[in-house]
Amino acid sequence: MRDAVSKTPRAHFSIERVIAVTWRVLKQISRDRRTLGMMIMMPAIIMLIFGFALGGEVKNIPILIDNQDTGFSTTLDSISVNLYAGQQIVSFLQYDSRVRVEVGSYSLGVSGVDDGTYSASILIPPNFSQSVFLGSEGQNVSYSFLLYIDGTKPPIETSILVALQSALQGVAGSRSVNLDKQYAFGGTKFSGLDVSVPSVMAFVLTFLVLLISLVIVSRETTSGTLPRLYTTPLSAIERLLGYSIALLLLSLIMVGVILGIGIGVFGVIVRGSLILLFSGAVLYALAHVFLAVFLANFAKNELQAVQMAPLIALPSMALSGMLVPVNSFPDWIQIMAKLVPMYYGNRIFEGIMLRGYGLSELWLEFIIIGVVAFIFLVLAVTTVRDRMAD
Amino acid sequence: MHSRSDISLPLRERGSKLVIETLDLVKVYAEGNIRAVDGLNLSIQEGEIYALIGANGSGKTTSINMLSGALFPTSGAIRVLGLEIPRHRRIISPKIGVAPQEYALYGDLTAEQNVWFFAKLYGLSKEAFGRRISELFKILGMEERRKTAVANLSGGMKRRVSIACALIHNPKLIFLDEATVGVDPVLRVFFWEYFRALKANGMTIIITSHVMDEAERADRIGLMRAGKLIEEGTPAEIKRRNSASSIEEVFLKLSGRNVADA
Repeated sequence: MRDAVSKTPRAHFSIERVIAVTWRVLKQISRDRRTLGMMIMMPAIIMLIFGFALGGEVKNIPILIDNQDTGFSTTLDSISVNLYAGQQIVSFLQYDSRVRVEVGSYSLGVSGVDDGTYSASILIPPNFSQSVFLGSEGQNVSYSFLLYIDGTKPPIETSILVALQSALQGVAGSRSVNLDKQYAFGGTKFSGLDVSVPSVMAFVLTFLVLLISLVIVSRETTSGTLPRLYTTPLSAIERLLGYSIALLLLSLIMVGVILGIGIGVFGVIVRGSLILLFSGAVLYALAHVFLAVFLANFAKNELQAVQMAPLIALPSMALSGMLVPVNSFPDWIQIMAKLVPMYYGNRIFEGIMLRGYGLSELWLEFIIIGVVAFIFLVLAVTTVRDRMAD
Repeated sequence: MHSRSDISLPLRERGSKLVIETLDLVKVYAEGNIRAVDGLNLSIQEGEIYALIGANGSGKTTSINMLSGALFPTSGAIRVLGLEIPRHRRIISPKIGVAPQEYALYGDLTAEQNVWFFAKLYGLSKEAFGRRISELFKILGMEERRKTAVANLSGGMKRRVSIACALIHNPKLIFLDEATVGVDPVLRVFFWEYFRALKANGMTIIITSHVMDEAERADRIGLMRAGKLIEEGTPAEIKRRNSASSIEEVFLKLSGRNVADA
C-alpha cells in the first residue's frame, strides 16, 4: 500500500502556479479600489494623526496661580535686598510651554478646576520669599504650596507637577518643597484603571458599535434579500429604523458588559449618576448606530463594511483626547478634535465617572451628541436605497 | 431617465383582465451601458401562467425586477394590476409575491421564521400566518423542516421556503424567477402541478426559465433575446408558427447559429 502511494507519480512543485496565485491576488486587489485606497490611506492617516497628536509633550495646560507672596526685604552688608520669589515662580511658569498660567484668586481656581476650566489651582504662601531667603541662610523655615489639582488625567497631573518642581528648583534651589496637594473631584486619587475606563468605554462603543452594526446591516446586501424587500410594503425608512432599534439593543448589551465588568469586577469609581452615565452611553451608541446604518448604504459587501469601522475609530481615538489631552495638540488639530464625536463621548463619560458631573455641567455635550445622532440619521435616511442600483 | 411617468399606456376599460401591461420598456444599466431590456411590450391576462424564456443575460430577471417594482426602468411604462409602476409600487406590493432567482432568505433563521418575517411585512395577523403557513408547508412538503435553519437546507428545500415567502400573503400575482432551477425532476413536476392549482384559484404567475422544455407547461410563452421579445404565444402556436417540434427547437431556429451565446 505504502509502495503504491510512493510510486504514484507526483506533480512537481511549480513556481509558475505559485506566481499564478500571487498574480491573481494582486489583480483582484487592483480591481478593488476601495481596499487599495484603504491600504494606502489608512496607514497614512493614522501615522499623520498619531504623529501630530503624540509627537509633542503635553502643552498649554491651563492653571491658575494665586501669588500671595508678600516678598521679603532685608539689608545685607548695607545693601538692601528685595526678594519676590513668588513672582519669580509665576514668571518661570509663564515661560514654561507645558502650562498656560493665569493669575487670580485660589478659590476661583478651585472652582475652575471643578468645572474643567483649569487643571490646577496653585496658592503661593505669603511667607514664600522669606522662607526662600532664610533657607538660603541655612535656616529651616517650612513653607507649603497649596495645590488643588485635577487627577483625572495622569499625564496632565504629572506635567503640572514637573513644571512646578522645576520652577521651584530654579527659584528656591534644591530645598525640599512642601506641596499640599489636594485632588479635585472628591479628593480621590484615581487609579490608572479609573481614569482609563471612560475613554475605553468611548472607544469600545465607537469601534464595536460601528463594526457590529456595519456587519449586520451589510449582511442584508450580501444575502440577496434586499431586492426582495424592495418588492414588499416595507419602506426604506421602516427598514432603517428596524435595523437601528435592533442595533441599539445590541449596543445596550455592550454598554452593560463594559460597565458591569468595570464596576463589578474592578470597582471602577462612578462619582456621578449611574443612570445619567447609562443614558449618555445609549445616546452615544445611538449616534454610532445611525452612522453605521448610513455608512452601510455605501458598502457593497461585508468586507467593505468592516473596513470602515477602524477607519473611523482609530483617528477618533487619536483626536478625542483619549491618549493625549486635547489642549496639548496644535491649534488646528484641536479644532479637528472638536469635530470628532468621541471627544464629546469622552467628556461625558469622564465627567460623570471621574468628576461626578451632572447634566448641569454636561448638557452641551449631550446636546452635541444628540445633534450628531440626528445628523447621521438624516444622512442615513437620505442615502438609503429603496430600489436596486441602476 | 424619468420619462417613464410621462408615457401613458393605451388604457383598457375598467374591469379589464390585464394584470400586466408594459409599453416599450427599456432598462439601460449605467455600469457598462448595457441595454438589458430593450423595448419590451407585454400584456398578461389574469390567471395566466406566463413563462419568460431565454438564455442567461437575455433580460428576463431585469424585466421581472422592473415589473415587481424593485428596479426602476430607464424608459417605457408599466402597469401592474391597473396601477402604474414604479410610482404606485407600495400600493401594489401587498398584492404581489416575488421569489427571486437567488433564494433571498435569511440563512440563520429557520424556514418558519423566514416566512414569518415576510408575513409581518405584509401585515398578516398571527392567526392568519398560522393557518397559511401550515397550509403552505403541507403542500410544499416542508412540515418536517419547519424549524430547520435555512442555511442547513438543500437547494430544493430553500426554493420551497422562498416560494412560501412569496405566497404567504396570498398575492394575486407572483413572480418566480428561475423557480425550477436546481430543482430535481420530481420536485419540478410537483411545482408545476402546484402552479396549476394556484392558477385555478385565480392567481397570475410569471415564471422565468432558461430551460426551454419547461415552458411547454405554461399557458403562454414569451421568448426573450438581447432584451427583446422575439416570439410570443401559446406553446402550440409558437411551435406551429416556426414549424418546430419543441420550444427548444424554436429557440434555436430564432437564435440563428449562435446557440451558445444567444
